[in-house]
Amino acid sequence: MGETERLKRCINDLISVLALPAIWTGGAPTHVLSTLLEALRGMLGLDLVYARMNGRRGEAPIEVVRVAGADTFTVQAHEIGVMLDKRLGADPRNWPPVTRNVIDGTEMSIVAMPLGLQGEIGALMAGSERADFPRETERLVLGVAANQAAIGLREARLLSDQKRLATELDQRVARRTAELTAANQGLRKEVAERRRAEDELKRAEEAIRASEHNLQLIINTIPALAWSARLDGSAEFFNQHYLDYVGLSAEQAQDWGWATAVHPDDRDGLIATWQAIIASGSPGEGEARLRRSDGEYRWFLFRANPLRDEQGHIVKWYGIKTDIEALRQSELNLRQMTETIAHMTRVMTMGELTAAIAHEINQPLSGIITNASTSLRMLAGDPPNVDGALETARRTIRDANRVSDVITRLRELYTKKEAAAESVDLNEATREVMALSLSVMQKDGVIPRTELAADLPRVTGDRVQLQQVVLNLVRNAVDAMSAVEGRPRELLIRTGRDEGDRVLLTVRDTGVGFQREHAGRLFDPFYTTKTSGMGIGLSVSRSIIESHHGRLWAALNDGPGATFSFSIPCEPVGARVESLVSSA
Amino acid sequence: MIATRSLVSVVDDDPSVRESLPDLLHELGFAARAFVSAEEFLASDCVEHTGCLILDIAMPGGMSGPDLQHELTLRRRQIPIIFITANGDHTIRPRLLAQGAAACLFKPFSDTALLEAINAALGTS
Repeated sequence: MGETERLKRCINDLISVLALPAIWTGGAPTHVLSTLLEALRGMLGLDLVYARMNGRRGEAPIEVVRVAGADTFTVQAHEIGVMLDKRLGADPRNWPPVTRNVIDGTEMSIVAMPLGLQGEIGALMAGSERADFPRETERLVLGVAANQAAIGLREARLLSDQKRLATELDQRVARRTAELTAANQGLRKEVAERRRAEDELKRAEEAIRASEHNLQLIINTIPALAWSARLDGSAEFFNQHYLDYVGLSAEQAQDWGWATAVHPDDRDGLIATWQAIIASGSPGEGEARLRRSDGEYRWFLFRANPLRDEQGHIVKWYGIKTDIEALRQSELNLRQMTETIAHMTRVMTMGELTAAIAHEINQPLSGIITNASTSLRMLAGDPPNVDGALETARRTIRDANRVSDVITRLRELYTKKEAAAESVDLNEATREVMALSLSVMQKDGVIPRTELAADLPRVTGDRVQLQQVVLNLVRNAVDAMSAVEGRPRELLIRTGRDEGDRVLLTVRDTGVGFQREHAGRLFDPFYTTKTSGMGIGLSVSRSIIESHHGRLWAALNDGPGATFSFSIPCEPVGARVESLVSSA
Repeated sequence: MIATRSLVSVVDDDPSVRESLPDLLHELGFAARAFVSAEEFLASDCVEHTGCLILDIAMPGGMSGPDLQHELTLRRRQIPIIFITANGDHTIRPRLLAQGAAACLFKPFSDTALLEAINAALGTS
C-alpha cells in the first residue's frame, strides 16, 4: 500500500471515528465502548483492543475487550486491565508510546492511551502482532478515537448521571411526597384530635361551670342561712342569703364576726353549744335569735355537721340556720291557748259556760212565745182563725222539742264517758277554785273561809268537772249575798269524811236563801231565782255529781242563807295502784 | 180601721223567727216582710217603704244589725229600729239605745212587749 493510499485510508478512518458520537447519542457507556472497539479493530486490523471506563465512588470499572479471533485469545477484559496497570503504571501520563508485550502467549506491540487528559475517564489499549505497529496514521486515528471516546463516555456518564439524578430526584420527590402526605395525614389527624380534645375540654369546662353555677345557685337560693367553718369553729363561708339576712359583708362575718348578729342574751349560750358540738365531733344543733338587717330579731335553729376525710378526721364543718320564728310563735301561741282553755274551764261558772248555749235555747223559746201569742190572737179574732191557730200551735210544740233537745245535749256534755277518771285531791281542787274566785268575792265584799279536813281521802273522778261544781256553788253563794245588807257576807267551804266511805263538801252562805217550797225545783233546768242567768248551773252540777255516783242537795240554814252540799264516794283502797297498772 | 198598714220588716238569720214573727205582726195589724240577712234587705224594694225594722243583732257570716243601722244612716234612710237578740247580755241595751235604736228586746219576748216597742217606734199608740 502506497503512502497516498494509506493517508487516504487514514482520512476515511478519522471521518468514521469522528462520526461515532452521532451513533453514541443517548447510549450507555458499554454501548460507546463496544462500538468504538469494533470500529478500531476493523479500521486498524488490530489483534486485540481493550477499553476501560473507571468506576466512580467505588463502582466497578466497565471493561470491554475485542480480539481478532476468539480461538487465539481467551484473555478476559479484566485480566488485560490488571496487566496494563501492572506493566505500565497507574499514571497514564507516564505510559510509553508503545511497548512489546506477550499476551496469551503472543508477542505484540501495545499502544495504551488514557481517556481524558489525566486518564480520569479510563484507558484505551490497542495491540497488534505487526512489528511496525503503530504507524503514524494509526497512532493519529487511535489518538482521535481516544479523544472521541473520552467525550462520548463523559456525555454518556453525564447522561447516566442525569438519568440517575432524575430517577433519584423522582424517588426523593416521591419519598418526600409520601412523607409529606403521611406527615400531612398525621398532622390532620393530630389537628382533629387536638380539636376534639379542645372541644371535650370546653364541654367539660362548661359542664363544670354549669355545675358550679348550679351549686352556687342552690347554695344561694336554699331558704336557709348556710355556712361553713374551720376546725376551731371560726367561720369560713356564708351563702348570700345569710349575708343579706344579717346585712354583713363576707369579711365582716368571717371568723367570729357572725356572732355580732346573734342576740346578746343568746350569744354566749350559742357559742358554748357550738364549742360543745365541735368538741363532740358529732352533728349538733342549737337555737338562738338572729338579728335581721332591719334590726328585728328572729329565732333560728342552728345546725352543724362535720365533714370527714377518708381517715375519718374532721376537715370542716358545714351548717345551716333555719328561721323557726313562726314555729316558735305558734308553739308559744299553742301553749298560751292551752293555758287559756285550762284557765277558762276552771274559772267559768255554769252560767258563763252555758251563755254560749243560751243563744241556741233562746231562739226556740222566742219562737214558742211568739207562736203561742199568735195562736191565742188568732183564736180570739172574730171570726177565730182556727187553721192559723192550729198551725202556730204546732210550731210551738216543735220549738219546745227543740229546746228539750238542747237541754239533753247539754246534760250529755257532763254525763258522757269522756269524763276523766283520775285520782283527785278535793282539798287541793277547792283551794284552786277559791284562789280563782278571790277577786269576785273581794269585789262583792264576801268574806271567804275554808275548813278543809286534813285527812280527806282522795276521790276518783274528773277534776275539772268537780271544780266546775265547786265554782258554781261558790258563784251561786256570792250571787245570793250580793243584795244582802246589814249583815256580813260570809262564805264557808268545808270538806270532810261522810259516812259510808264518802267525802262531803259543803258551801254555806249568808245570802237570801230560797223559798222552802221551791227546794225541790232548785235543780230543775231553767229554774232560777236570779235576775240574770239561765237556771242551768245547778241542773248541770247535779248531773256531774250523779255521774260521780254522788248526791247534790240544798238546805236552808238555821240562820240566814243556804248550804249546798255534795257527797261522793272516796277512792277505794288500792284503786290508784290498779288504775296505774291498767293504764300502763 | 187602719187605712194603710205600716210595713214592718224583720231581718233575722234564725228561721223560726222569720217564720213566726210575720204571722204575729199580721195579727197585730201590720204588713210584714222577713229577710234572712241585712244584705237581702238592702237589696230589696222594702228599704223605702219600711216603717219599722226589727233587727237581729248578731248574724254570723254577714253584716250585723248595728252594721245595717250604720249603712242606713250613711244612706240617709232613717228607719226606727227595734233590736232583738238571743244573747243574754243585758249590758248592750243602753249602748244600742244611745246609738239611736228605738228599742231592744231580749228573746224570748212577749207579744205585748213587741207591740209597745213598735208603737213607740212608729210614734203611734
